[in-house]
Amino acid sequence: MTILTRLEQWKEQGILSPDQHSLLSALSRAEPFSVFLELNLLLYAGILAFVAGLGWTVTTWSQQLGDVLILAALSAILAACFWYTFSRAPAWSVAEVPSPSLLFDYVLYLGSLVWSVELAYIENRFHLLSGQWDLYLLATAALYFVLAYRFDNRFVLSLALSSLAGWFGLTISHFPSHQDATYRQYAIVYSLFIAAAGAITHRRALKPHFFGTYLNIAANVLFWALLSGVFIRQNSALWLLALLAACAASLAWGISRRQFAFVAYAAVYGYIGISSILLREMNSGAALLAYFAVTGAAMLIMLVAIARRFGKEA
Amino acid sequence: MRAYSASAEESVDARNLLKDWLAESFLTREQYDRMEPDTACDLRRTNIFLRVVLFLFTLIIVAAAAGLFFVLVLDRSSSQSTGVFLLVCAAASYASAEFAVSQFHLYRYGIEEALAVCSVGFLCGGLLALLSSSTESLVPAAGILASLWIWHRFGLPYAFLAAMIFVIWLAPYWTSSHSAQHTIVAVFYATGLIAVIAARPRDHSIVEALLWLGIYLAINLQLSSMDLLRQWWLGPASTTEFPRAFYWTTWVLIWLLPPAILVRGILRKDRLVIAVGTIAALLTLITNKPYLGWQRHTWDPMLLGALLIATALLLRRWLAAAPNGIRHGFTAQRLSAKDKQWMSIGSAALGLATPQAITPPHQPAAPGPHFGGGTSGGAGASSDF
Repeated sequence: MTILTRLEQWKEQGILSPDQHSLLSALSRAEPFSVFLELNLLLYAGILAFVAGLGWTVTTWSQQLGDVLILAALSAILAACFWYTFSRAPAWSVAEVPSPSLLFDYVLYLGSLVWSVELAYIENRFHLLSGQWDLYLLATAALYFVLAYRFDNRFVLSLALSSLAGWFGLTISHFPSHQDATYRQYAIVYSLFIAAAGAITHRRALKPHFFGTYLNIAANVLFWALLSGVFIRQNSALWLLALLAACAASLAWGISRRQFAFVAYAAVYGYIGISSILLREMNSGAALLAYFAVTGAAMLIMLVAIARRFGKEA
Repeated sequence: MRAYSASAEESVDARNLLKDWLAESFLTREQYDRMEPDTACDLRRTNIFLRVVLFLFTLIIVAAAAGLFFVLVLDRSSSQSTGVFLLVCAAASYASAEFAVSQFHLYRYGIEEALAVCSVGFLCGGLLALLSSSTESLVPAAGILASLWIWHRFGLPYAFLAAMIFVIWLAPYWTSSHSAQHTIVAVFYATGLIAVIAARPRDHSIVEALLWLGIYLAINLQLSSMDLLRQWWLGPASTTEFPRAFYWTTWVLIWLLPPAILVRGILRKDRLVIAVGTIAALLTLITNKPYLGWQRHTWDPMLLGALLIATALLLRRWLAAAPNGIRHGFTAQRLSAKDKQWMSIGSAALGLATPQAITPPHQPAAPGPHFGGGTSGGAGASSDF
């Protein structure tokens, strides 16, 4: 039975009004055909290509073009982007605000990227902060957070989170030794920090739709950091315990909120962590293969049970 | 011949549409609750995340079990024994996939997909061990047939993609000439395209899109040539690898094909074919200079970006100017909740990936493959000039 036949039946049963029936029949025949997604992808690819070319040109021709011309051009683009977004922005709200136009989000994104290019150029040419890149990153992250929350823009929110991660990373690159351990600790601090920030803003209903972005990034950074701790020989049992605790939390969260990406994180990261410990001293090829066959089957049974109980698509 | 009945698959499609319409507020929750039971079917599905994880763990189990049996029983045996063993594994995997579908009604569940994929892998591995070098071309040929069968039987589009990849593997067995290899691959794909257009199988849209893309990639010598890296990093491609007439014919074709694909996609309102047409057009613009042996300029990406932005804006303006924002059956308005979902996921993921992709690296210290470290963050604020 085709969807058109079903729609006809539902109309006859009085479930659908005639107007709804004609609308849904047209939609199921792709009439009209929406190119909304395609236009967004074209704009995104266009912005990306433009900024890549801009960065490449500035890098290659900085000597020939001169600082004044480059800074004037970058500032003009930046000013135009921010003028456009500030002049056309809808009133701010704590809730999700739809973009006023197709172009709006992308102009803000372009402005944010051009800001980074200009800032990098200024520091490289004039060394205003004597190479203190971490301060630039922190300031940039702060600006991006403000812009993301003011204009309700997920692209810029991701840039903000990425810049903040860069700040955490660059700050400890000044430390002379034990960078692996320090990076790991800072990665955990970063993930806990953004998870907490996301939870607080979500609880206070401040752009609650951003919470998913915070949580996914926090979960992946945390799992990577814990896994890297499990891979080293010192205190790997403690790191494994921490990993298992994170997996349990991720699994519970994923099942309770029906966000199955977190179930997948728990399964994959947990399996890799436990396997790396158990296989550490295993030299026999047969034992190795037996391990994968048995534990893989155990994981499969557990996941099927979860899928049957909680994860039905239909 | 299909493992699933047409009515069951139509029920799945209908349920997906109902969910989409509910999310887009075209239906009320009450209406959805009354309509949803009518789309019930016996197929067992799961969500995309569990599907991927189930697929991975099934692959691990099958590969480990086959490996274990081989190590314990067949270690140091002849290649004939190995080949026969792998063929038995292929048959067992395929039978398991059929069993999973017929008994448990698994549909896009990961498990039956992994078993079907393993059957193709084992088949090719087994034939590779059994056949001599003179008959080795039967391996990709068998791979093509097996993949096409899996696609036809279970409706897995990536099985069709695998068949297309086996075609690339097959071509060098027939001729050492690079131009002939490109021609063979393109002819295979074109034949497949004609067959798909004529037969219009259930999931013809994605298959047609893959075939169009395959034909384009086969004829664009800047993309599909064997020394691709040398061409892109060390300088423009030379025409000496290919006969002059062949080289310039392909250059003409890479300009003719994208509009042809786009027109077909637009006429049929086929989203995937339109996407492939757009990708092909972009690739033509990107590879045109290397094709002609012209030097690239640093501002080329800026021009391309400006062109894309202008195209999107003009198209949107042109569509919006029509009554109700609909022109010739096309609209720039969002009509599907899936579009919003894709935009949300894409904007978060692409926003994170952007800084690494578009900015040249610079670091005051060399943090290596650690977390953070500035190379992955800062939205390019760590660029070097």
